[in-house]
Amino acid sequence: MSDIVSIIQRVLGEVDLVLGWTATGAGGVAAPDRFQTAAEAERAVFNATCVHNLAVHLPRLKDKTVGIVAKGCDSRSVAQLIQEREIDRDRVKVIGVHGLGGMIDVRKIWRLHGYGVPVDARIDSLFIDGREVDRKEYLRQKCLGCRDTVPVVHDKLFEAQGPPITGIAEAATVEAILPGTGLGASLTAAEAMSAAGEDESRPLSELFANMNPTERRLFWREQYSRCIRCYACREACPMCFCRDVCIMQTTDPHWTGAGVDAGEAEMMQLIRVNHLAGRCTGCGECERACPVGIPLMLLMNEQNQVIEDLFGYRAGTDPEARPPLLTFDIKGDSRSEK
Amino acid sequence: MRIGVFVCQCGTNIAGTVATDKVAEAALSMRDVLHAETLQYTCSDPGQRAIIDAVQKKGLTRVVIAACSPRMHETTFRRTIGQAGMNAYMMEMVNIREHCSWIHSDIDIATDKAIDLVQKGVARVRRQVPLYSTTVPVTRRVLVIGGGVAGIQAALDIADSGLPVTLVERGPTIGGNMARLDKTFPTLDCSSCILTPRMVEAKQHENIRLMVNAEIEQVRGYIGNFEVDVRKKATCVIEDKCTGCMICQEKCPGKAPDEFNAGVGQSKAISIPFPQAVPMVAALRKEYCRQFINGKCGVCKKVCPADAVDYEQVDEITTEMFGAVVVATGYELYDWREAYPDYGGGQYPDVVTSLQYERMLSASGPTAGHVQRPSDGAEPKQVVFVSCVGSRDESVGRPLCCSVGCMYIAKQAILTKEHIPDSQSYVFYIDIRATGKGYEEFTRRAQKEFGAIYLRGRVGKIYPSNGQLVVMGTDTLSGGPVEIEADLVVLATGFSAARGAGELARKLNISYDQYEFLSESHPKLRPVETTTGGIFLAGACQAPKDIPDSVAQASAAAAKVIGLLSRGEIETSPMVAAVDQLRCIGCFKCRDVCPYNAIEALELRDGRQVAKVIDTLCQGCGVCNVACPPSVVSLKGYTDNQLIAETMELLR
Repeated sequence: MSDIVSIIQRVLGEVDLVLGWTATGAGGVAAPDRFQTAAEAERAVFNATCVHNLAVHLPRLKDKTVGIVAKGCDSRSVAQLIQEREIDRDRVKVIGVHGLGGMIDVRKIWRLHGYGVPVDARIDSLFIDGREVDRKEYLRQKCLGCRDTVPVVHDKLFEAQGPPITGIAEAATVEAILPGTGLGASLTAAEAMSAAGEDESRPLSELFANMNPTERRLFWREQYSRCIRCYACREACPMCFCRDVCIMQTTDPHWTGAGVDAGEAEMMQLIRVNHLAGRCTGCGECERACPVGIPLMLLMNEQNQVIEDLFGYRAGTDPEARPPLLTFDIKGDSRSEK
Repeated sequence: MRIGVFVCQCGTNIAGTVATDKVAEAALSMRDVLHAETLQYTCSDPGQRAIIDAVQKKGLTRVVIAACSPRMHETTFRRTIGQAGMNAYMMEMVNIREHCSWIHSDIDIATDKAIDLVQKGVARVRRQVPLYSTTVPVTRRVLVIGGGVAGIQAALDIADSGLPVTLVERGPTIGGNMARLDKTFPTLDCSSCILTPRMVEAKQHENIRLMVNAEIEQVRGYIGNFEVDVRKKATCVIEDKCTGCMICQEKCPGKAPDEFNAGVGQSKAISIPFPQAVPMVAALRKEYCRQFINGKCGVCKKVCPADAVDYEQVDEITTEMFGAVVVATGYELYDWREAYPDYGGGQYPDVVTSLQYERMLSASGPTAGHVQRPSDGAEPKQVVFVSCVGSRDESVGRPLCCSVGCMYIAKQAILTKEHIPDSQSYVFYIDIRATGKGYEEFTRRAQKEFGAIYLRGRVGKIYPSNGQLVVMGTDTLSGGPVEIEADLVVLATGFSAARGAGELARKLNISYDQYEFLSESHPKLRPVETTTGGIFLAGACQAPKDIPDSVAQASAAAAKVIGLLSRGEIETSPMVAAVDQLRCIGCFKCRDVCPYNAIEALELRDGRQVAKVIDTLCQGCGVCNVACPPSVVSLKGYTDNQLIAETMELLR
């Protein structure tokens, strides 16, 4: 494995700053950091807890030349931002990470072993509190069945040489919304569990697919009732770059009210999903950032799949592509009165 | 805010199903409404006077008119409240006729719905602000697409008014299908004798520029200012040099199908379609040319006395501005072969289409006007005409009437007798449709004076037997099957839209029907307009029609064009998009989706790039509103807040 520190130091010769990670989180897990000098870069790390999608910072650093360490999934966000002209390809140097063996779900570790427990999450092995455990048990759901192991855009490649991963990528399991997990609790979720046949690891989407419209509506009402309108989902999303003029907070036009209730939250999330149609790169940062554990990617993944089925388009896989829902194409048969 | 609500009874059109007085009563309790009344006919003079009175006496600042579709009377009422001293856009029309009374039967339910719709209109008009239109200069130049008789007529009429016209024709000559006809009904005028003077006039007219072998590549812009890319196809002949001597055609060894003669006879790879072609310029078809197929020949280049042949020629695209467009792309004959296997599906040489027969009758045709059957060149004595092949036939998905078949069959039956006095014509027909001036008399003449035998019934099968064709049909008048031994069978083939009509329509952003005939804006009141302003229709591209109708429509389209461009400028709708530049994030998704290129970047004093709408280009389609992530682009008169307010009223 080549050294992430020296790669960052080399890139620093060409840019103002590099976005990466240091091991300064609770228990030594990775936390995002920025490096402006070679000395600062000495503290850079790359391990299996580097889950954050650093591309979210790029639109806010338009006035600088920026280096960024990007996993395959993150690189799709970079590509999508380039496509939407939010960032200038020439002003970004991408250190693509190739050959990851899936990232670790730190929250799962904390849930089972206590918050702040020392974690050594290497690319190919995992030590909790000094003891090696089966890292497969702690992989993030979205990393299973990863389709983006090769970065879409990159200027330098960092070979992580992780183990191969297999499985099915999922937004969340039933477990994630269950009582006692610290991520929300309610009767409807318990009912969801019983519908899932007590199998907590069963994918939520599978359960959801079997619900009728009324059940779905109840399900979402219940999920959204936990929303505290902190906008963490929006802030973590690399594609949500309207910032201060976000329509969630304006009264002109008055799309959503200011109240914190399931109805307003639902409106807000439906707008968010709509605004990300054909733009969401599926990084799952919204769901990871949600402090109350609303399975936000359930809806988003469904929409991404519909767009892929309809238009054969996956956002962020081609910086040059014309996204289907941001295209006005008169050549279709829409004008014909057939 | 002082809102007035006027509920129209439209005689019984609305009042028959909606209790208009109850609607007016309910309106009085709506927010800011201080006047409400019902009127028998709001659009009538007394109705309009009542609105003006109420506005002036009660000081109304906004008006809601619950009546018919805004497509009918929006302009009327805008003028009305303008006359009352208000801004013409401080008015909202609520459609309680097409959207309510006409589609419901229960008075109570329809009344409730009408009240809801009025409530919605009130909510919307409360958020309306005055709007002001501007004017834009127009380009005083006209594009006519298609050089058939309709296109020529439109071009001449427009050019005579002093406006420059560019007449674009896809083929190598103007003249269209009419140039291929021998005679015209019901007068039996020689078709080319009456058409060629018009063709020459078009060529000589100082205001007309002819572009043959040219097609429309792309169209941008809008009424008054269309920016059009025209592709001039490479014909390997330099138009300015070619003298039309036809030596190249004579010497060319490359055989090619004769499109002008509808496939009767053969042409050459380099050719001039017919001796009166305009312009009289040869064109080379690469797909049949030995030079291009085998890489060696070069005969035409060697023999050309004017040195006009250039194998290196490439397509050229020119871009020009036009204020208006006339589409006159015409028709072509329905390709009957696949749909009618019982008629031989094209495998019997002596079953020909009406246009092929027309060329066989024509003195300038491949047989020099001597009617000869294609199989052996013999003169046919028994000629059978089969009407409605590919028209009025649901079984092949073509229910439309070609509108000229009955007439040209009568004409061809008469001409057959004139060419071959001892011949006998039979006509299988469904009905005889002869509605034009002198048409009925003409079909009678075909039967009485020229002895054509008319049999009412369809033909079931045609098959060859002993060097002849047996036509099996029914005679529904005598009630029995008929079999006729024919030397030649002429199919009265129906009309199809010209090849590529739909594609052109999409480029022009105009509507078309399932047969790719182009759609007029209103079947009765706007028959030459399309749904896109500044684009007009002429001739058979809109629906099958005969020469007089095509010419009349072409002149009508010309009148529309002249009227449009005579003012020099046109008023634009103020209902265009607007960007809140303080809140624009400069992502330019609006610009990406704008079909009219009506959005440009503007740099603010702080260096921020924001979107700016070019009012004169914007057509108010609203696509940008949808694309804008922070929703800071809105359509004047249809702002998000207005739509939200309407929706909230309905959801209450």
